[in-house]
Amino acid sequence: MTHTRREFIRNSAAATAAAVAGIPLFAGASNIITDRSETALKWSKAPCRFCGTGCGINVAVKDGRVVATHGDIHNEVNRGLNCVKGYFLSKIMYGADRLTQPLLRKTNGQYDKRGEFTPVSWDEAFDVMTAQFKRVLKDKGPTAIGMFGSGQWTVWEGYAANKLFKAGFRSNNIDPNARHCMASAVMGFMRTFGMDEPMGCYDDLEAADVFVLWGSNMAEMHPILWTRLTDRKLSNPGVKVAVLSTFEHRSFELADIPIVFTPQTDLVILNFIANHIIQSGAVNRKFVDAHTTFKLGVTDIGYGLRPDNPLEVNAKDAANPNQGSPIDFDQFAAFVRPYTLDYAAKMSGADKGWLQKLAELYANPKLKVTSFWTMGFNQHTRGVWANNMVYNIHLLTGKISTPGNSPFSLTGQPSACGTAREVGTFSHRLPADMVVTNPAHRARAEQIWKVPSGTIVEKPGLHAVAQNRALKDGKLNAYWIQVTNNIQAAANSDQEAIPGYRNPDNFIVVSDAYPTVTAMAADLILPTAMWVEKEGAYGNAERRTQFWHELVKAPGESKSDLWQLMEFSKRFTTDEVWPAELLAANSGYRGKTLYEVLFKNGKVDRFPVSQIEAGYDNHESSAFGFYVQKGLFEEYAEFGRGHAHDLADFDTYHQTRGLRWPVVDGKETRWRYHGGTDPYVKAGKEFDFYGNPDGKAVIWALPYQPPAEVPDDEYDMWLSTGRVLEHWHSGSMTMRVPELYSAVPQAVIFMHPDDARARELRRGQEARVVSRRGEVRARVETRGRNRPPRGLIFVPWFDASILINKVTLDATDPISKQTDYKKCAVKVVKV
Amino acid sequence: MKPITVVAFIAVLVVGVLLGRSCSPQQPAAQVASVGSIAPPPRLQLKPSLDAMRRDADLLAEPVALPLARVQNTDVRRARNYPMQPPTIPHAIDGYQVDQNANRCMLCHSQSNAARFQAPPVSVTHYMDRDGQILAEISPRRYFCEQCHVVQTDAVPLVANTFVGADDILTSTPASGKKE
Amino acid sequence: MRLLEKLRSAWRTLNAPSRHFSLIFLTLGGFIAGLIFWGAFNTVLEATNTEVFCTSCHEMEDNVFAELKRTIHYSNRSGVRATCPDCHVPHQWTNKIARKMEASKEVWGKVFGTINTREKFLDKRRDMAEHEWARLKANDSLECRNCHNYNAMDITRQSPRAAVIHERNLLNGNKTCIDCHKGIAYQLPDMAGVPQG
Repeated sequence: MTHTRREFIRNSAAATAAAVAGIPLFAGASNIITDRSETALKWSKAPCRFCGTGCGINVAVKDGRVVATHGDIHNEVNRGLNCVKGYFLSKIMYGADRLTQPLLRKTNGQYDKRGEFTPVSWDEAFDVMTAQFKRVLKDKGPTAIGMFGSGQWTVWEGYAANKLFKAGFRSNNIDPNARHCMASAVMGFMRTFGMDEPMGCYDDLEAADVFVLWGSNMAEMHPILWTRLTDRKLSNPGVKVAVLSTFEHRSFELADIPIVFTPQTDLVILNFIANHIIQSGAVNRKFVDAHTTFKLGVTDIGYGLRPDNPLEVNAKDAANPNQGSPIDFDQFAAFVRPYTLDYAAKMSGADKGWLQKLAELYANPKLKVTSFWTMGFNQHTRGVWANNMVYNIHLLTGKISTPGNSPFSLTGQPSACGTAREVGTFSHRLPADMVVTNPAHRARAEQIWKVPSGTIVEKPGLHAVAQNRALKDGKLNAYWIQVTNNIQAAANSDQEAIPGYRNPDNFIVVSDAYPTVTAMAADLILPTAMWVEKEGAYGNAERRTQFWHELVKAPGESKSDLWQLMEFSKRFTTDEVWPAELLAANSGYRGKTLYEVLFKNGKVDRFPVSQIEAGYDNHESSAFGFYVQKGLFEEYAEFGRGHAHDLADFDTYHQTRGLRWPVVDGKETRWRYHGGTDPYVKAGKEFDFYGNPDGKAVIWALPYQPPAEVPDDEYDMWLSTGRVLEHWHSGSMTMRVPELYSAVPQAVIFMHPDDARARELRRGQEARVVSRRGEVRARVETRGRNRPPRGLIFVPWFDASILINKVTLDATDPISKQTDYKKCAVKVVKV
Repeated sequence: MKPITVVAFIAVLVVGVLLGRSCSPQQPAAQVASVGSIAPPPRLQLKPSLDAMRRDADLLAEPVALPLARVQNTDVRRARNYPMQPPTIPHAIDGYQVDQNANRCMLCHSQSNAARFQAPPVSVTHYMDRDGQILAEISPRRYFCEQCHVVQTDAVPLVANTFVGADDILTSTPASGKKE
Repeated sequence: MRLLEKLRSAWRTLNAPSRHFSLIFLTLGGFIAGLIFWGAFNTVLEATNTEVFCTSCHEMEDNVFAELKRTIHYSNRSGVRATCPDCHVPHQWTNKIARKMEASKEVWGKVFGTINTREKFLDKRRDMAEHEWARLKANDSLECRNCHNYNAMDITRQSPRAAVIHERNLLNGNKTCIDCHKGIAYQLPDMAGVPQG
């Protein structure tokens, strides 16, 4: 790195000032240019880079640069609308400090973990990276290497990474950042339905009579879905909206039933509603008897903390938190009976009248109800339970899988569904909902991947939180992070992630487009292509897979994650990474590079570059000599076709604005598990939850349990974290867009004015947010868009100078291993 | 006067004074007990600070928080980066209520009110429903203005952006001769 | 019997005091007693005119006062605050007493829980707001003008659009403050059919 930050700013000072003032650089045009050859823009479609809504975008390219974007009016998701972030997509690739060359820490020309970042060539970068990985593989084996990937990987990037690690290196230590966002939803689906992903689709937004938001701030986090909900509600005054959260936020602007509840008591309210449905005789007995079974879940499951933590030591079910025993309807009714209206009101602090109204909306058989939730339920130490419990309500009433009746788990990232979940880039998963622990699943994957039987390891690998702990403990020693900023995103970073990355025994590689704090903590930084600088595919929250072409070149020497994975695989041979017994039994694989085994296997390399659509570049395919994305996709699609995860063929997706799987005979599926709309439901059946062997969904009896850490005398406030509309995740892209930065330049502590007063703080004053684990400094905001009740603060995490995750607790849901970012105990003190 | 009268008089005066005193402003809030701070961990010496967002702060240090940025309230319209970009809001919007009860933005910016308040009216696209049909009033899908339109503050970006719009590309190319 | 005699004695004194007390005592005493009563009356009256008193009802504290805390009348650049009586209780004595008598309705509401939950409050918000708007419209936003004197406004120090609109509408008496500044202190109710501006 030859430039300092100041030089970057200085060199682009004119651009900065001009951007701030909103004045175009070349303001002195003489007359309008009309020559079509000059004014023509090349427009291509792409999904948005940001959230799980998956809006359709049109991207305009001129002279090799993106010059404008537009909401795609032909895309069913958004029909021409974007949110403010989407409207600035054309700027996200042009931050002045874009990484353009690999950077390696060196002292005196040699790799040194304590050295300064020095620009190196890709060859040298891979040389050092290969040497480190081989060293660790030789000393400790595949359990000591790992990868942290992303729900912002394209489908084939995730697929290539999954193959490389699970079949190539034989390490199951690959986990995505979707572990932080959707894991609880996934386990909720698996426990109730035996299959992942929502059964409804966005069309429910135009059909429902009632919307209930559980801990989801759709107005800011799924803005275009909110516009559809707003359209439905305001156009039809009878439609009701209930919003439940631990603090008041913008989604409350439409709420007929606004409920602010004490953190974690969403579990109480959920069981109360189930109880109300039963007590008021609103159970759809026909549906329940025909299509559901009941289970009682184990409860002493701990909080996913380190094993020596007192909360874990005696948790007898901590090792197997996913257990349940069969019960019947009457036992379930008895289980939820204590969850009365009084109890719910007392525990949650919510108004009785509203709780009652909410329950009645669910119970009323004439009203179609759509429930939405995201991180409020998922980032929760009992998040899986919360997911199961909201399905309970919809199953008891039969309000599921039909237009408007929809328990809808919203996805955070653009491809947590399409990549992380469907491709199975989790430490325990394989594509199409399969798991490494199941021998039949492993065999199928090995067959499709054309690798020997026994290649894939049975034992699940390290999940996200476990990876950070293992890095700190020195058990994980070579680690590759792609498309994610985990030093900023992982909880308890001062105690776990940061010491883990800087542990002298560890070699950390970060692939990113921008220098993030995670890059800062790494040893090798690989410059990475973003979004339309590569051909890609994302799968959004309603199971819609959407493709895009490479539209512009990545700057400098940056290359896509896919290119990096495939190039890296060339550096290893089976002799080096596979055990001798495996090679002895399968001698045809000897002496082959992982690249040959995984990518030049006759399937991934079978499509020639001539099949790439004319007029579009494709740097990976140019480099490797075949149509890489098509080959990977068609191999991947084998997993799902015929198994209720059917994807259409590759070329179709380039022609359409996405299709919702399962796509059978060219037709997409809007409502799953329902006869007539789901091709996998046998003729004559009304519902069939075919993910479970008996075709029935499971209603789980689960109790309320308190969070891992609650406010006490010293740390007397709840801390909740999350996002704001203008910034995506860790802000690495949006903070570099001047208009978005200017709109919200800093994270603040959203706080009740009386709480501020009691601590001698006023709006705009600096305060320290302190927990048992770390602290940050930020300014107080008492009049902002978020209006917490007394005793709770909210701090967004997009600001790299206010790393709020130093303060948060890495307690997880023990079933999903997903971190609870919404509850820990802090104190707020004047600086 | 009888002694009792005098005593009563004095008693009333005393009571009156005491009552008056208790009506004075309240005592200030109780002092918050001072809290110990966590001993700062040793510096990591990661130089330079690659991430400009951290303003050169070490990864283990806590930088002083920038002052709260102030919203620009000049009513001066800003140039757009490309024609379809929703313009940023050139004024403050503190306390402007936009919810199902009231839409403060539309008070000035609806096409029917724009003349009265001399505010830029929303474009006709805002009157189209999701099927492209024009409605008599703003379409509810456009109801929450702040999802697309944001204010700007006086915060100076920490990292420049090298985006170049179509306008700039057009005007920076030399006057057209025929392209080969 | 003794008690009855004492009572009879007291009654005789009260009925014909000048038989027992001097004229000067009676007049001065009466004067002082009147003073004390008047002081006490006004003290109590003013005590009911404070923010502390008004927000002692949870209906006020949790609803309107909580909403006020986010507005400019609670916290602003100059630190000049408005408390409940500044806007809701007329300053002029006779109007003030009239308002205090109307306040018996609020006592009724407190006793019978008319708005004792957030839900009930929200349902009644439009009614209550309309009363206040009507009151301020009828007295030409008198309470606003108690502090915000239009003649003292330096419109060059306002934002450009505020300056233009004030000049165009307030100067010629076309509009009064409440016409445009509804919702200045609390959230607006359902505004369907309410003219604004």
